[in-house]
Amino acid sequence: MNQFVQVLLFGVTLGGVYALMASGLTLVFGVMRIVNIAHAAFMIIAAYIAFFAFDLYHIDPIISVLITMPVMFFMGMAVYWLFFSRIKGAKRAGELTVLLTFALALIVEGLLGYFFTNVYRSAGPSYATEALYFGRFFLSAGQFYATLLSIALIVLLWAFLKYSRIGYAIRASMQNLSAAQVVGVNVERISMIAFGIGMALAGASGSMMSFLFTFYPAKHWEWIAILLALIVLGGMGSLGGALAGAFILAISSNLIGYYFGPTWSPITFFLALFVVLLVRPQGLFGKKLEA
Amino acid sequence: MALLEIDNIKVGYGGGPNILNGLSMTIERGKTYCIIGPNGAGKSTLLRAICGLLHPREGSVTFKGEVLNKLRTDEILNRGISFVPQDRSLFPDMTVKENLRMGGYILKNRKQLEDRIKEVLVKFPILNERSSQPAKTLSGGQQQMLAIGRALVLRPEVIMLDEPSLGLAPKIAQSIFDNIAQLKDAGMTVILVEQNARKGLECADWGCVLDLGVNRFEGAADTILHDPRIQELYLGKQYQNRQEKAA
Repeated sequence: MNQFVQVLLFGVTLGGVYALMASGLTLVFGVMRIVNIAHAAFMIIAAYIAFFAFDLYHIDPIISVLITMPVMFFMGMAVYWLFFSRIKGAKRAGELTVLLTFALALIVEGLLGYFFTNVYRSAGPSYATEALYFGRFFLSAGQFYATLLSIALIVLLWAFLKYSRIGYAIRASMQNLSAAQVVGVNVERISMIAFGIGMALAGASGSMMSFLFTFYPAKHWEWIAILLALIVLGGMGSLGGALAGAFILAISSNLIGYYFGPTWSPITFFLALFVVLLVRPQGLFGKKLEA
Repeated sequence: MALLEIDNIKVGYGGGPNILNGLSMTIERGKTYCIIGPNGAGKSTLLRAICGLLHPREGSVTFKGEVLNKLRTDEILNRGISFVPQDRSLFPDMTVKENLRMGGYILKNRKQLEDRIKEVLVKFPILNERSSQPAKTLSGGQQQMLAIGRALVLRPEVIMLDEPSLGLAPKIAQSIFDNIAQLKDAGMTVILVEQNARKGLECADWGCVLDLGVNRFEGAADTILHDPRIQELYLGKQYQNRQEKAA
């Protein structure tokens, strides 16, 4: 029983970080119907920024979100303006965005490999190797702080969407794009901002990743597979769904890893993807999309 | 001077053909216009072109002497033209109040926005009762009221409604037409596109018959209503006659 609770605790804390990673991906899909295959590649860029900020300037990776988030926000807006705004309204724009983000992922991977080589990296702040004890249970201190920060950022994102004027416009665009236009939302501008926010969340995720996991340029393929499984389970474009998917899969992959051995842990995501697509393709909280 | 002058506009979607083919129309202040015509005549396209969702390829839309052609929707809303699109176009997961708040999205002054929302809620007591319910939980008629209320948040001079009675039971549709009559009494200029041509013309001053992207003919609403050509073409007289013969 104690072991079970311990594993559950690992799962919940990991779920918080997964939720942060997935929230940006699902936001971008919700507003623009862009499946951003490059989301995890942008996380890796941010992980490198956080890594070198720590390695060269001794900036704490958690503090580094103050750098990675704004940098990735503006990079996201630039990427949107350079590439996505051009294919808007094109025939088969949906398929084009998949190809485009796939290409972006390859380019990012290639550039990172060229400049930083394919060496495995991980930032090593002191808390990355410390443990925190809660009665009979323990957590890695780094994981604990990362989870707290992730949850704080998600709450901030939620409050921003719920109460700010831009947040209203983003939610309106997610629910009914043409109605948003009718009431005077500049959908193109809101899309650019939403893409920037999605990338800023990828930036924060990268900062967390820099000390929680080892990474190298091609690592993003593994991550995007996991993240897509999370948001498909939750329902693409639904923030609440992304959170639910993140916690469900983080907890179940930990439990499966514990009972069946760590080799079986990654299968959770693909099994879930498989079952969801068969049984409930719109996901737990998603809406059926018109073709 | 006419309030809104549409001069020989040609409008289409994307790279497609012209849907409006040199359409002209004059809208006078304070009157209610009903636009009828068969499917594909360009009725909705006309409304979308006036409110800046589409831009004319040729010709001009002039409001109080200002050409609107190149303006964005928010700029046109700001000048006093609001649009209630066909599918009711609400934000389903937002509450009634949040939907109304979106109606005043272009208002930067929060206090003013909240006052305007209150005004609308007084006008539609049923929306006030349900102000914290998600829009998707409302009935069809209430959703249509919300869509109209949302357009009224900006206190427009011109309100354009695209098939407001679509999909509603006759009794509910009647209450929507009553609401439209009230808009006119409040001094608004109303442009109504209506599939139910008879009902639409009954509450209008002026009727326009669109066909193949041009204004085929127009006249006082009761003249149009009793014009035999219209009765045959668009009001189902032929069908009615056939029914009578069969009986």
